[in-house]
Formats: sequence, structure tokens, C-alpha cells
Amino acid sequence: MSTALRDILRNPTVAELELVARYAGLKVDARRERLFEAFALTGLPGRRDENWRWSDFKSAVTALDAPKTPPAHDPLARGGVATLRFSPSGFAAPSALPAGVRLVTREDVQAMGGAEDVPLGALAAALSGTVQVEVSAEAPVHLHMVFQGPGAIHAARIAFLLRPGTELHVSESHLGGAAFSAALIEFTLQAGARLNRTIYQRGGAGEVQAITALIEQDAGAESVQTVLAFGAKVSRIETRLVHRETGSKATLNAAYLAGKGFHADITTHVRHGAPACTTRQQTKGAVLDGGRGVFRGKFLVPRTSGQQTDASMQHNALLLEEGAEVFAKPELEILADDVQCAHGNTSGALDGTQLFYLRQRGIPLVQARAMLTEAHIAQALEGAGEHEDALRTEASRWLAP
Amino acid sequence: MLKIENLSATVGEGEGVKTILHGLTLSVPTGEVHAIMGPNGAGKSTLSYVLTGREGYTVTGGTATLNGLDLLSLDPEARAAKGIFLSFQYPVEIPGVPVMTFVRTAMNAQRKARGEAEISAPDFIRKSREIAKVLSLDPEMLKRPVNVGFSGGEKKRLEIYQMMMLEPRFMVLDETDSGLDIDALRTVAEGVNALRAPDRGMLVITHYQRLLDYIKPDKVHVLAKGRIIKTGGPELAHRLEAEGYDGVLAEAV
Repeated sequence: MSTALRDILRNPTVAELELVARYAGLKVDARRERLFEAFALTGLPGRRDENWRWSDFKSAVTALDAPKTPPAHDPLARGGVATLRFSPSGFAAPSALPAGVRLVTREDVQAMGGAEDVPLGALAAALSGTVQVEVSAEAPVHLHMVFQGPGAIHAARIAFLLRPGTELHVSESHLGGAAFSAALIEFTLQAGARLNRTIYQRGGAGEVQAITALIEQDAGAESVQTVLAFGAKVSRIETRLVHRETGSKATLNAAYLAGKGFHADITTHVRHGAPACTTRQQTKGAVLDGGRGVFRGKFLVPRTSGQQTDASMQHNALLLEEGAEVFAKPELEILADDVQCAHGNTSGALDGTQLFYLRQRGIPLVQARAMLTEAHIAQALEGAGEHEDALRTEASRWLAP
Repeated sequence: MLKIENLSATVGEGEGVKTILHGLTLSVPTGEVHAIMGPNGAGKSTLSYVLTGREGYTVTGGTATLNGLDLLSLDPEARAAKGIFLSFQYPVEIPGVPVMTFVRTAMNAQRKARGEAEISAPDFIRKSREIAKVLSLDPEMLKRPVNVGFSGGEKKRLEIYQMMMLEPRFMVLDETDSGLDIDALRTVAEGVNALRAPDRGMLVITHYQRLLDYIKPDKVHVLAKGRIIKTGGPELAHRLEAEGYDGVLAEAV
């Protein structure tokens, strides 16, 4: 047994023991071992880990019993779009996929770079096989993914390769069902490829979810990501993006709505590893009494490779009631000198003057609050294109049930 | 009839509490238009906020009723549903909420509170088009977020648009003339005059007599130091314009 594994076993939580048992039951594989060790270096991350101090998975993942949450409905589902289904009992894909899409399911474990940075991504990879999807179509490709189903642990991994000049629109619904779910989703965008990714996350109040994405972009590649997160007992949607060639562009938008007993964490890390790349990031949140929102964003702009970076980061949170909690850490690490980087971070209550204006016109307080909150998050959902209306509908239902 | 009796109100809390209205008494019979004039700090805007229920103001005495109904015990939205409308001195920007959505939501909320059926989309659009035309409002403007990027004149015209759409029983116009050039003033006044009706009252708060050339009041009240110190006909507004507030205030004391 490795040192890391022995360390984690020195003082393990019940859940960690179960994860080790799950790992030990899988086929021996050198890459699996490396990935599980990358996880074991941290174990389930928690308060003591700087990157996880506000999202304590260690205490949140308790006994891994299957929760009895009724399945959430999927607002992003639409007819005619090939749907990939991930559940604790396995993976299913339609036999007919769009032209120019090749899908391979592999039992063995694929290597993963930077596994130590994303312990729960490494865990997902160590406990699952890999679905690989190669997109080489001339026309834009539309795919939908659903992560849902009852079980104790749900680990899933899928890797997309977008060949030069291709375009993929992928929607993801993370609907919970398992006590603990960890998904790892990888995207490699070759030169000029375009990705539009929309994520809808809604876990149960007793569930813990970690959704980790690794995105790498070559020259002139462009990605637009839009998240609507309702949280779970604890949830984290983490995106690590690398601009690795010139002229790559990324938009990372997210909205989170956390009600009583729900915790929604939006974490991003963007490395400007090549000159003249652009990142636009906008995160909007609204939290009720007993809810918790977390935003962590980091731009890393190295001294030589990061010249002519154009990047901006905004996080604006609304504390809708007394007792709402928001934790935010926007971070810009800029070592290059010829860059444009901006960031803004605010949190506060709704504007009393605006509320009064709406109420004076006859709009009841609850509805006025909902209207203003929906307007607050609306901008962050604009990039979702064909899914924007569905996301807005879910948001407004939550705001004014 | 709007009936205000001996109304006193404060603003602020703790050490910073300040009495703004000192036993104000005023009646505006249904079907009449009254003007309130007064120097800065007299309590004009406070009166409009106390009548409509804005937070931050505390009524310390007196009553205010609209057609016999106690206004002061109601939430702002309930007062609106009962028919009181405030045209804001500084209309508020609501980013992300288009004008049409806002007004339709407000209209249907008021109708619901009164137990009436919602307005149908075609009826709403028809009505909106007609009113926009009267006020020379660009229909495109009504698709934009409320007051965001609007000029001062456009904001005031949008207040009148809302008023004409919602058809309130009683209107309070707080310095509707401020920030308007003469053409805009005329358009706004036309909109207001179109709403004059035997079953509707109006209180026009203004600093200057100018607005009253366009909206002719039945009565003019002078508000100073939180109470009405003088009431007269339209000629009182002209006197104030000629002599300034000092003369009238000195006389009243």
C-alpha cells in the first residue's frame, strides 16, 4: 500500500473507508492507482484545505446510503438530441449518434493531467471507466448528458475531443440521486473548435455533488459555458481551463440560487498559457436564509506566455434574507505586464428603492423580489442560447413558487 | 376623496430621527386637481412617500384615507391596488426588466388584488400602443429595461405612460416637471390632463408655477415646515411665483 493510501487510512472517515473499499474492488490498473493516490493525498477535501475551506466535503459526505430523493425533472431534455445517460448502475448511449461523432467506452482508466489539483476529479476517474467522444463533424453537433440515478456512489468520466474547426453544443443535467456523486468531464478544443456547454445542477438536500471539468483550448478555439446551479447538501461545479495557444477565447458564466439547507459552490481556474487570449467571466448568485453560496475564481497570467491577455471576472451576489451566506474569493495572479485584467465582487441585499418602485406599482413584495432577482441573474444565462429560456423558467419557478 | 388629517411623520432612526410632517391636514375631493407648492425641505416628497408607504418613514400621528379607506395600515402594493399612484420625482432604473413586462405584471397584480380578471395579451398590447402614441413614446423603448439609459424627459413620460396604463383612482405627481424641456412638459401635461375625470383625484407637487400653466389646478396649497400654511385658487401659484415663498410664509406666521 502506498504512503498516501496509508495516510488516508490513518484517520479515515466512514465515507473514505467506503471509497477505498470501492477502489479495492476494481480491476488493478497502474493508472487507476495513480489517480486514486492523487485523491488520497487530500482524501475528501474539507475545511483544512485552502481551496475547499467553504465547501467541506469531508463532513458533508457521511454514510454512503442511497438517499430517497425523488428524481428531479430535466429541463434541458429535448427530443431529437442524442442523450448520453450516466447513472450509478452504468452508462448508456443511443446506438445512432450524429454524423461525425465517434463514441468509445473504455473499461480501463485513462491518464489525467493535474490530478492533484482536483482530488474529486481524480476520484471520479479512479472509480470509473472512460467514455471518449471524438467530434469531427462539419456541421455543429448537439448532445445532451444526464447524470442521475439512485445509488450510494456515482462516479463518471467523459472526455471530448473537438477536432479543428468543429462545433459542439453540449448540455448537462446533474440531477442527483446518489449520496455522493463525482463527475469528471474533459474537453480538448483543437484549433478553431467551438464549444457551447450548458450545465443545470440540482441535487437533493441530502446529496453531495462534485462536477469537475478540465478544458484545454488550442489556437483560436472558443468556449462558452453557462451554469445554473441550485446546489445540494454540498455541491461544487469546478472548471479548470487552459488557454494553451494564441487567440483562444472563453466565456465562463454561472448563476447560483441556494435555498435553505442548500450549498452551491462555483469554482474556476483559468490559466492564460498563451498570448492574446480572452476570458470573460460573470457569476451571479442569490441566496436565502440558511443557504450558502461560494464563488472562487482565479486567473493565472504567467509572465511570458500571458502577454496581451484580456480577462475580466465579475461576481455579484444577492443576500435575499437575513441568515443567507456568501463566500467569495476572486483572485488574479498576473505576472505579465501587457494585459487587461479586471475584476469586481459585490454582495448585498436587494435595492430598497427598486423594491419600493415595483411595489408602488402594485407588485407584491415576494413577486417584486423574484423579478429583481431574476433580472440580477439573467445576464449570466444569456450565453445558454437554445437553453436560456429553460434555465430562466427554472430560476423563476424557484424564485416565486 | 383623499383626506389627510393632522398627519405627522418622521424619517430616520435613533439619534438621526427627524420630524418632517407636523400635523398636515388636506382634502382633495374626487374629481379635483390640487397642487402643493413649497420650498425645498418643506416635506413635499415625504408626503408623497408617506401616502404610498415607502419604508424608512414613520407615521407618528394623524390619518390618511382614500374614499374612506385607511391607507396608512396597508402595504405599498395594497395601496396601489386600491388606486393610489405615485409619479416619482426620480424614476427608478430596473435593469433586466423590460417596460412591457413590468407594467403588465403590475397591472395584473393589481387586478388580481381587486378580484378582477387578468388583461389579455392582445388587449394589453393594443392599449399600450395607443398610449405610447399619445405620449410620442417610441414603441421600441417599451421593450427596453425600465428607465435604463432613458433621458430625464423619457423617464417622466414613462411615468405618465404607466399612469395611463394603470388608470389609478388617485395620482400623486412628485415634481413631474423637473428635468423637462418645454416640449416634453407639454406632452406630459397632455397625458395628465387626459386622465382628469370626475371619479379621479390628483395631487400635483411642484416647485414652480410653470407646470400649473399646463395642468390647471382647482386649488393650490402651500406646504412649509411640514404643514399646509395657506390654501387658495390658481392665483396663489402666480403670487408665489412673483413674490417668492418668503412673502407668503411671512404672512402666514
